[in-house]
Amino acid sequence: MAFWFELVATGLITGGIYALVALGLNLQYGLMRIMNISHGEFLMLGAYLTWLGHTVLQVNPILFLPVVALALFALGVVVYWLCFRRIIRTAPAVEVIEARSLLVGFGLLFLVQNAAYLAWGADLRGYSFLTEAVDVGGARFQVNRLVVFAFAVGASLLLLAVLRWTLIGKAVRAMMQSPTGAQLVGIDTRFLHPVVFGLGLAMAGVAGALLSMVYEISPGMGEPYTVTALIVIVLGGLGSALGSLLGGFLLGLVETFGMHYTSPSLKMLLSYAVLIGVLLARPKGLFAR
Amino acid sequence: MSRFTLRDSILATLLAALVLSAMPWLMSDFALALTLTCLMYAGLAVSWAMFCGATNYLSLATAAFFGMGAYVTAWGAETLAYGLAVLLGGLAAAVFAALVGAAVLHLRGAYFAVITFGLGELVRHGITYYEKAYAGTVGRVISDPPETVTIYHTVLLLTALAVVTALAVRASRLGLALRGIGSDEERARTLGVDTRRAKVLAFSLSAFFPGALGAAMAMRWTYIDPLSVFNPFIGFQTVLIAMVGGAHTILGPIASSVLFSLLTEYLRLQFPYLFLVILGLLLILLVLYLPGGLASLLDRWRWGKSRA
Amino acid sequence: MREPLLSAQGVSVRFGGLVAVDEVDLAVHAGELVGVIGPNGAGKTTFFHALSGILVPTSGRIVVVGDDLTGKSAHAFARHGIARTFQTPRVFKEMPAIDNIRFGLEFAGRTRKHAHDAFDEPEAILEFLGLADVAAVPAGGLTPSKQRLLEIGMALGARPRVLLLDEVAAGLTHTEVELTAQLIRRVRDELGLAVIWIEHAVRVLMDYVERVAVLHQGRKIADGDPRAVAKDAGVIEAYLGDEGEPAVEPTRKAA
Ligand SMILES: Nc1ncnc2c1ncn2[C@@H]1O[C@H](COP(=O)(O)OP(=O)(O)OP(=O)(O)O)[C@@H](O)[C@H]1O
Ligand SMILES: [Mg+2]
Repeated sequence: MAFWFELVATGLITGGIYALVALGLNLQYGLMRIMNISHGEFLMLGAYLTWLGHTVLQVNPILFLPVVALALFALGVVVYWLCFRRIIRTAPAVEVIEARSLLVGFGLLFLVQNAAYLAWGADLRGYSFLTEAVDVGGARFQVNRLVVFAFAVGASLLLLAVLRWTLIGKAVRAMMQSPTGAQLVGIDTRFLHPVVFGLGLAMAGVAGALLSMVYEISPGMGEPYTVTALIVIVLGGLGSALGSLLGGFLLGLVETFGMHYTSPSLKMLLSYAVLIGVLLARPKGLFAR
Repeated sequence: MSRFTLRDSILATLLAALVLSAMPWLMSDFALALTLTCLMYAGLAVSWAMFCGATNYLSLATAAFFGMGAYVTAWGAETLAYGLAVLLGGLAAAVFAALVGAAVLHLRGAYFAVITFGLGELVRHGITYYEKAYAGTVGRVISDPPETVTIYHTVLLLTALAVVTALAVRASRLGLALRGIGSDEERARTLGVDTRRAKVLAFSLSAFFPGALGAAMAMRWTYIDPLSVFNPFIGFQTVLIAMVGGAHTILGPIASSVLFSLLTEYLRLQFPYLFLVILGLLLILLVLYLPGGLASLLDRWRWGKSRA
Repeated sequence: MREPLLSAQGVSVRFGGLVAVDEVDLAVHAGELVGVIGPNGAGKTTFFHALSGILVPTSGRIVVVGDDLTGKSAHAFARHGIARTFQTPRVFKEMPAIDNIRFGLEFAGRTRKHAHDAFDEPEAILEFLGLADVAAVPAGGLTPSKQRLLEIGMALGARPRVLLLDEVAAGLTHTEVELTAQLIRRVRDELGLAVIWIEHAVRVLMDYVERVAVLHQGRKIADGDPRAVAKDAGVIEAYLGDEGEPAVEPTRKAA
């Protein structure tokens, strides 16, 4: 029993991070059709920021979370202004926005990832934080994992709440359903787009900060998360925030259980098999009606 | 290119191929290797644009096709003649693309991009697992590869063939159908195009070349493992080159593959550390300020001339 | 009686709870020009979607020259000779006007011949529509009214047996509407097509068609001679109920 519990919990912890990363990406895609393939690089920046905060400034990583979120939000607004605003304004069709933003995403990926290599080198970095183990329901967990889980789920739920209940959230959802209709009722995309893009990067940054508490970090750490996030948003449905949350947990569980019952080397095989299975059976995502 | 007839364009391609075929005896090894890279990417980008440029699909499956071709060589190197391995590599990719295409070509945009990427990764991980579990190896050494000159000529032939095929497709009914699909697929259907058939056919045709090129390049690399031949960057770079060149043209991707290979090589030598950062920056600037690709420069220049 | 070119039998289309087209029967024969009218949202366009294979009807059958095409893809309808225009023009924007016309000729119309040789070349069709001077212009760059004409040309390129026109005269001046109507008549006469023509400009339509069907809330409430239909109590009721649309009275006797 405890063993099952541990497996489920591990799956949920992984899934919580997946959900957080996917949510940000999905929000950007759903609102603006930006396929930001460099999403994971900003996760990596969040991780390095936290590591710097901890090792240089001796700040508790948890207290540093808001700083990371704000810094990446600001970075997101700048990146939006410099790179994506022009694409969205000049592209004649959404397919063109998707294609061009994908290319710019590659550019950002090269740029950010290699700048990080230049700045911090290829070595794995890390610090230890809350590594003692506690007993929860008969299973043992390191405290830092529980913290990561709590914050990942907390941040995801916070975002869902913002989307559901605040004015800006309602505006975002209206835009996702009908861009022209929303513009007619006076929703200002010049304000909304950079804010949502910034929000997406802030989520990625927080995810990176959380990951740095548990794993060692490196400039290449972000890429696999981008890929996983893409899988998650396709699982949950493009543009669906709740779908990303559920999809993240689902993928986390599938990976954990799958790896346990087959072999760890099959992890990616499992994710892709799930992705392709879902896309073939339900092209619009698992939770689409 | 509209000023040239199909015959002129094909003749020009063959002439260029003829000139290039003499290069092994005129060039240094370094220059020849660089030319080979240019040719490979030209072949990949032209065949990608053959389908994706016209239909506005975003396929990331090039790496999958390339890798499959390479593994046909790897598995068949001892039993198959070299030419046969290349042909089979191309055919394997084409068959795979037809099957996959029939299943997923109803998806569009980001969904299609993600699923084609996922398929490549699925095949890669599948082969990795198979090799580890049943063959007990990670990579494979190709024991008796043909001479570099032979490989160079194979790649040249395949690339020239890709260009000629792209030219022929563009001038054909299939090409018209593909452009219609790219513009408004349902409208194309109401005018009598079996869009599903057209897409599967063209997708499969466009997969032959990366498959065959993968089979040929595997011989050159002599050691291959799943990560190197299914490297997603082969796919990304192909898309990048084709789009920077102008995916709705044929000359654009060719020009941009030359430009990219030379630029990458130059930057790598000049700024060994900074070069990918610069490449990233250049890419962003290109997409933002030259969204129609290099081909649009040519258009602009031609337009200016015709107005003068 | 001759076999109809196109016959819809009990065709219904539902969107969730909404019944957009409700048990509609309609048969058209070669050489017929049939008008379809009805208030906004009556289901006219949706009916065309069903007739051209864009939508599969929820129930009912669609038979084209004896072949039951219900559930077949749109290209099968096109190849059987059903060609249509769209209410908001859907030309291939990036292609030159002439390639838009060539498109139908190369695919749907490939195996048939027109009754009239003049319509077998894209240039001739453009000439007929008065679009010869814009042959090389990308279709997206044409004015909306030229795009509407081009849509007719695309349909003609498909060498149709049945031509479905969805509000091709919308947004035109009065003179232009008359010209378009005459053009439709000529096409019908010279090629012997069956034409079904949806239009909101009811008066002009009634002048040019020999038969008109009225849709109201998805149902066909009248079908017959325009003058008889105009006097039909149910039709007047439907139009009056709809914020007093123009009267359906024809202005002059059908020419
Ligand atoms: N794809 C769809 N999904 C849901 N409802 C639809 C859809 N298409 C049409 N409808 C509804 O079906 C009804 C019939 O619409 P349709 O466009 O066929 O009417 P119409 O007679 O062509 O109107 P108009 O004269 O304004 O062109 C309308 O109530 C419309 O809102
Ligand atoms: Mg309508």
